Amino acid sequence: MEKINKVSVPMREQSPSERIKNFKSVPLGYSEEEAKTEAQRCLQCPDPVCEAECPVSIKIKDMIKEIGDGNFKEAFLIAKRDNPVPAIAGRVCPQEDQCEGVCTMKNIGDPINIGKLEAFIADWAMENKVTEEINIKDKKEKVAIVGSGPAGISCAADLRKLGYQVSLFEALHKAGGVLQYGIPAFRLPKEIVEEELSCLEDMGVDIQLNRIVGQNVTCDALMDDYDAVFIGTGAGAPKFLGIKGEKLMGAYSANEFLIRTNLMKSYKFPEYDTPIIVGDKVAVIGAGNVAMDAARCAIREGAKEVYIVYRRTINEAPARNEEIHHAIEEGIKMLELVNPVEILGNEDGWVSGLELQKMKLGEEDSSGRPRPVPIENSNYRMEFDTVIEALGTIPNRLFLSKTTYLKKDPRDRILVEHNLVTNIQNVYAGGDAVRGNATVILALGDGRKAAASIHKYLGEKANAQTIF
Amino acid sequence: MKHAITKKVDLNNGDYLMEVEAPNVAEKFQPGNFVILMTREKGERIPMSVQKAEDGKVSLFIKRLGKTSKELDRYKVGDSFFQVIGPLGIAPEMKKYGNVAFCSDLVCGHAENYAFCKGLSEIEGNNVISIQTFPSEGDIYPESELTEHLCDEFYLTTVDGSKGRKGHYLDIVKELLEERKIDYIFAGGDLSKLRDLGELTKPYLIPTIITVRQIMIDGTGMCGSCRVFVDGEMKLTCIDGPMFDVHKLNFEDILHRVGMYKGEECKAMTAFEKQ
Ligand SMILES: Cc1cc2nc3c(=O)[nH]c(=O)nc-3n(C[C@H](O)[C@H](O)[C@H](O)COP(=O)(O)OP(=O)(O)OC[C@H]3O[C@@H](n4cnc5c(N)ncnc54)[C@H](O)[C@@H]3O)c2cc1C
Ligand SMILES: Cc1cc2nc3c(=O)[nH]c(=O)nc-3n(C[C@H](O)[C@H](O)[C@H](O)COP(=O)(O)OP(=O)(O)OC[C@H]3O[C@@H](n4cnc5c(N)ncnc54)[C@H](O)[C@@H]3O)c2cc1C
Ligand code: SF4
Ligand code: SF4
Ligand code: FES
Repeated sequence: MEKINKVSVPMREQSPSERIKNFKSVPLGYSEEEAKTEAQRCLQCPDPVCEAECPVSIKIKDMIKEIGDGNFKEAFLIAKRDNPVPAIAGRVCPQEDQCEGVCTMKNIGDPINIGKLEAFIADWAMENKVTEEINIKDKKEKVAIVGSGPAGISCAADLRKLGYQVSLFEALHKAGGVLQYGIPAFRLPKEIVEEELSCLEDMGVDIQLNRIVGQNVTCDALMDDYDAVFIGTGAGAPKFLGIKGEKLMGAYSANEFLIRTNLMKSYKFPEYDTPIIVGDKVAVIGAGNVAMDAARCAIREGAKEVYIVYRRTINEAPARNEEIHHAIEEGIKMLELVNPVEILGNEDGWVSGLELQKMKLGEEDSSGRPRPVPIENSNYRMEFDTVIEALGTIPNRLFLSKTTYLKKDPRDRILVEHNLVTNIQNVYAGGDAVRGNATVILALGDGRKAAASIHKYLGEKANAQTIF
Repeated sequence: MKHAITKKVDLNNGDYLMEVEAPNVAEKFQPGNFVILMTREKGERIPMSVQKAEDGKVSLFIKRLGKTSKELDRYKVGDSFFQVIGPLGIAPEMKKYGNVAFCSDLVCGHAENYAFCKGLSEIEGNNVISIQTFPSEGDIYPESELTEHLCDEFYLTTVDGSKGRKGHYLDIVKELLEERKIDYIFAGGDLSKLRDLGELTKPYLIPTIITVRQIMIDGTGMCGSCRVFVDGEMKLTCIDGPMFDVHKLNFEDILHRVGMYKGEECKAMTAFEKQ
């Protein structure tokens, strides 16, 4: 038997000192040889546990086998069959909690770099202009999809492949949802998002930008004009701490900070018109993916010192390991076990610092993480020029206020049954709009599941009509 | 979608009117809604009030101010904008208010004044009073773009007294309040004057609804940039407004935040003028 290679092929990356000056991809991607070597480490397990943990059930084992054998086209088609956007998922999936987290190789060495291989194969196809062959047999039924994030994209792709007439309504002037406006280009280059979206257009999905459902298209019109509707409006509205000082100039929600940076390209100001103000010393409150992204953008936009301010310790941080690791490499400092109680301001109305209360870890809470407990009389102040609140997001009120008949939970998440149907029989929902803050791949999986449910519903409806 | 410019008229030395094709906006527009405009792909998303929405076109009053509005000025009839997005914001109900006034002293206010006068006067039982203030005679808009032909009572004032009544709309409102019952006031324009209007109407307990201008990006409630505090509670100008009850607003914050990017805007302007 061949010797098992316990160590994974390292990913070449831009050096930290170089990359903090640009927004280009941090990982440089595997070469064909590197990808083959990494793929050949796979044990080809009889029971591929990795696949069970992939929310879209990619045939990981087969994909890796083909990469190992140098059959890149086959590998790509395998990935693409279950995931319409492999170049994206391969880059942003929290693999350590999913496919790679359970990889058998972990017992003896490094898990297989499944995400990196998935991204490699998708990039290879893009470079070599290899695409999936799709034969679409047109059906007459029309489906409207609201929101062009991963949930909307995957739902649109699947339904279109099945022949439905699909219109995708997006409120912003660019499609992609968080992939476009939230996740920065150094993690997810925007050309990749655009390329994967252009496949949708090539298939004949009618993408309508600047269409704000509830505002310039009514929900009733969608329900009347289309045979089914899928809601993938995400959870894009910022949460604020509600502490004193949030009105100050220099206080941002992470959403605003990231939308300016990524969607409006403020890092290219004044070539792009939208400005951003990043002071020398920046505090980012929170320790999820959003916080890491904001911190890493801030350092690239000229901040001298950036702090992640977190009430637990970094061991409990919800961000992906890779993001935390990259952030630390880039010089971002972790200020652990502190809770901001006030944003301080100067007489001109600008942020001047934070008042922080020290915390300690207590008992486990419902999330399974130790609860942060405030320490009495431990408040102190630190100077900052910019404060960014990255506390997670909530569903957007705009859409919900116009669809009061949709059943929601107390946190405004749309309620659905197991097949993702809402309380209205031809309206389905998925992704963050249903789950709150989740992940790209879960949203994607929802989109696909909803597409299958819609297909079933419309099929049954059509059959019923032919009987009568 | 192409947003072709179909008309451009100078309103005075600083302001001009642009009519642009935007069928999706025009179809659903209500007085009080606004749009977001992008001149080109690399441009900013800038909020603009709407004067008129007819035949698939919207008319905007634009002030030559900073980079975007000056750049906008280079666009001619036949050119196209990258995006005209909307309508956005909550439109107050067009219903019977009784003695209802609209006051304005700046481009955005004048545009809304026009839209409101048209909307309110179509409803029976409204006595629509429109007050428009300009700095001086030379600044007054062409008659067709003023509200006189749309309202029941019209007051034109100039701050220097060179035409119409001398003074600001605040002076007229003060007189009106002293002489009769006014049921409802809407207003738009200079923020500090809107604050003064609030002070003026507060003792009379007259509902006074004003347009708040805050810095916006998406206009759909996603960035939080346009936050204001209404009775101490955080609201978003783009989806909860842009019209709010002046008596509940914290004006210090609003006046501060709207100036946040002054320094950067100067940089953009300098870079633009060098081109
Ligand atoms: C900064 C950041 C970093 C993240 N990093 C990761 C990561 O590394 N890995 C990961 O797996 N997940 C990550 N996430 C989470 C992930 O991006 C989301 O879970 C996922 O995008 C949800 O997809 P969605 O399709 O449900 O919604 P979204 O991506 O939020 O898309 C919703 C779309 O709907 C549009 N919309 C909303 N209302 C309307 C309306 N009324 N009419 C028309 N359109 C409307 C919005 O404009 C938006 O484009 C991150 C999130 C953020 C914010
Ligand atoms: C609801 C609303 C309605 C408006 N209606 C009109 C209108 O009808 N006509 C008109 O000329 N202007 C209107 N404005 C203001 C207009 O959006 C700004 O004048 C414009 O963004 C200026 O861009 P600029 O590049 O020319 O100037 P800049 O140099 O960028 O800015 C000049 C000043 O304009 C304000 N401003 C800048 N960016 C924004 C922004 N994104 N949102 C709000 N204010 C900003 C700031 O006070 C700034 O100091 C409106 C604003 C809002 C919020
Ligand atoms: S989609 Fe995510 S979980 Fe599935 S194989 Fe790719 S990286 Fe792993
Ligand atoms: S679990 Fe790991 S080693 Fe086994 S098939 Fe999956 S990737 Fe290969
Ligand atoms: S403009 Fe972004 S929330 Fe209002």
